[in-house]
Amino acid sequence: MKKILITEDSPTMRSLLASTIESVDDYEIVEASSGFEALRLLPREKVDLIITDINMPDINGLELISYVRNNPNYRHIPLFIVSTESSEKDLEKGLALGANEYLVKPFDPDRLLELLRTYLA
Amino acid sequence: MSGNNDNMGKAVKDFLAEAEEIVDQLSLDLVGLSDCADTGDCNPDLINSIFRGAHSLKGLAGMFGFTEIADLAHNLENLLDSLRLGKAELSQTTVSVLFDSMELLGSMVRNAGTGVSDTQGIERAVSRINSCLSAPPKADTVSPLARLGISDRILGALTEYEEHRLLENVKKGRNIYSIHASFSLMTFDQDLGELTDLLKQGGEVVSTLPSAGGGLDAGIDFEVLFGSELETAAVTLLVDKDNVIVTCLGGAGEVAADSTVPAAVADGGETVSAPGGEATPGADNSVTAKSFSRTVRVDIGKLDELMNIVGELVLSQSSINEFVDNLRRDGHTSLAAGLSKTAKVLERKLTELQKGVMEIRMIPIGQLFEKMSRIVRKVSREQGKKVELKTFGADTELDKLIVEDISDPMMHIIRNAIDHGIEPPDERISLGKDEKGVIRLSSFQKGNHVVVEVEDDGRGIDVERVKKKAQEKGLIGPADVLSDREAIDLIFLPGFSTSDTVSEISGRGVGMDVVKSNIAAVSGMVDVESRLGSGSTMTITLPITLAIIKALIISSAGRTYALPITSVLETIMVENRDILTVEKKEVIQLREITLPLLRLDRFFETTGMSDILEGFYVVVVGVAEKRLGIVVDDLVGQQDIVIKSMGETFKGFKGISGAADLGDQRTILVLDVGGIINEAMRGNA
Repeated sequence: MKKILITEDSPTMRSLLASTIESVDDYEIVEASSGFEALRLLPREKVDLIITDINMPDINGLELISYVRNNPNYRHIPLFIVSTESSEKDLEKGLALGANEYLVKPFDPDRLLELLRTYLA
Repeated sequence: MSGNNDNMGKAVKDFLAEAEEIVDQLSLDLVGLSDCADTGDCNPDLINSIFRGAHSLKGLAGMFGFTEIADLAHNLENLLDSLRLGKAELSQTTVSVLFDSMELLGSMVRNAGTGVSDTQGIERAVSRINSCLSAPPKADTVSPLARLGISDRILGALTEYEEHRLLENVKKGRNIYSIHASFSLMTFDQDLGELTDLLKQGGEVVSTLPSAGGGLDAGIDFEVLFGSELETAAVTLLVDKDNVIVTCLGGAGEVAADSTVPAAVADGGETVSAPGGEATPGADNSVTAKSFSRTVRVDIGKLDELMNIVGELVLSQSSINEFVDNLRRDGHTSLAAGLSKTAKVLERKLTELQKGVMEIRMIPIGQLFEKMSRIVRKVSREQGKKVELKTFGADTELDKLIVEDISDPMMHIIRNAIDHGIEPPDERISLGKDEKGVIRLSSFQKGNHVVVEVEDDGRGIDVERVKKKAQEKGLIGPADVLSDREAIDLIFLPGFSTSDTVSEISGRGVGMDVVKSNIAAVSGMVDVESRLGSGSTMTITLPITLAIIKALIISSAGRTYALPITSVLETIMVENRDILTVEKKEVIQLREITLPLLRLDRFFETTGMSDILEGFYVVVVGVAEKRLGIVVDDLVGQQDIVIKSMGETFKGFKGISGAADLGDQRTILVLDVGGIINEAMRGNA
């Protein structure tokens, strides 16, 4: 079963993402409520894909992306940003840092599932 | 999304709960913003955290299809984004726009799903927000950051906001440091938290970039960008750790203070590793690092269920005790002793369990005080009065439901205190008072109750004016003689208002009668005391919880009832000759008041009249400022009971609030003291 790490500080948004993904396909979800938690989970869980928000209280999503892309252990993991369109500049930076896709909140669940299938095929 | 309605309904509930939390937190943060708006020296973390809140709210509301909330949050987010990026000016006007929008947002969240919508209010708020934004943005300048020699890896991961903060630090002529720290993966969050706490004493932490720790799986490195007025040596001393390396990238005086390209920037390579020695605290602008609270959100209904189960367990436990007695009577003494011992352990653990479940429902009343501080700011601003709110005992704990239920009445009391109590500044000065009025909000526990006092140092209640008004309104006759106490209590009568001109603040159709009945609805009481010229005090007495209550078990005319102890003021022994009859109603004289009596058999129209005795008990009950004496045959004792609803069938049955199990297979009725008093006062008893 493919494992997806969701990094998002809003519990509601996190569970919404999780239920969207779990409702259709056979994916396992690992939830992180902050960038720190994601850093701690990465070496423990063998994650196949990362979904992250940008605005978070400890380290931001960009810093997480930079960490993942500069770490040989995680460099290859597909990574999606889910954030609001107001942080357009940040989204661009995220893509420059190596994020594979971005989704704008309110995201389209079907689009998310389609992307997951593409990257986790 | 999942196509499952239940899940969706729960998700919406979760969203609304989270949204309400966000709005509450934001309003609280705005209070902080209002404090620093005048000096312009606001903590950037504060503005950023407000921005993040609005941002989350927008994203969430959009997901759940609450477009109006999402739109307003979006506009707020725009304004906050401009503020945090220095593109808009922070002023009291802006803060007041933020306050009002936040209040509107709060009411939209509360009304979400009801179809109630204040379209005009939203339009007004949006146009006010936009007017704050219309100030021309500061011209973009060539970034001086490139010259600091910050690596592309760090610059590339800075959000727009962090970039702005870095620039601000440079403009203020602060030294910019890169602080490298290596931690173990097991403890990095705590270690890094300690490091940033230390740093925040001496400047601003701009960003924190993690990187793999020297290729080791067990380690993680961080590159912290830090802006400070301190010299390199002082920063090194501040952090004082072996695994931390401080590098100064550029310094004060070397970077021009205006926004143009700076002059030469330091050589960017001065590296000092931290020596041992005492850490010296830096400037006193310490920033509170908000801890991430480990909380679980639970539906309060589930806690009620748990409480019910605990209540039932307590009852089963007491039947074990009966069993022990039976065993002993039958001569099985050693068996009885063993069982009794086990029952004692069970009892102790059950008490702990009960206490534990109770504590989960408790929240500090400070949460309510925070709401009130917003009201004070808003109302005093609208009224042009200067008011300082002082709070005491914010950590007093109270059932969450009660805190919620008294929120509106408290708000009204506070509005009243500012509107009618506190005088305008010039009037206060001419009276020899400080131009700033003071409202003291204090709370403390008193036995099984929590007392909340609202005290102002305003003009107090003019008893003569109250009497005159009550006569004009026909609430009392011209011949009625009232003590000052009784006269002040007139303000609790429906339709009473002494204000000559109905102001926008207090004249919202809510009178003290509603305040009183709202407080009575949670078995609370309200009393008022006033000193003409020097202020008034409203004292609200509340039960700590409604879930499990101590009850006085009484019997009357052959039936057993439970009376919530919280409503019982005292029990007195009365003789038949003490009873007087006034207007065909039985009363007794209790100290200085005339206490109306009520006989339960007559009230419930039951048969089985009690014996006519020479003496009997009267239980004096009170809700808010009303008192009533209930005649009982016998006082059975005190017991903890769990009130259970009797369902739809008995809804509207006056005088009964529910049923409770006594443990000996007997179910008794719990008297609704408020309801009985109201009926009795209307003359139906």
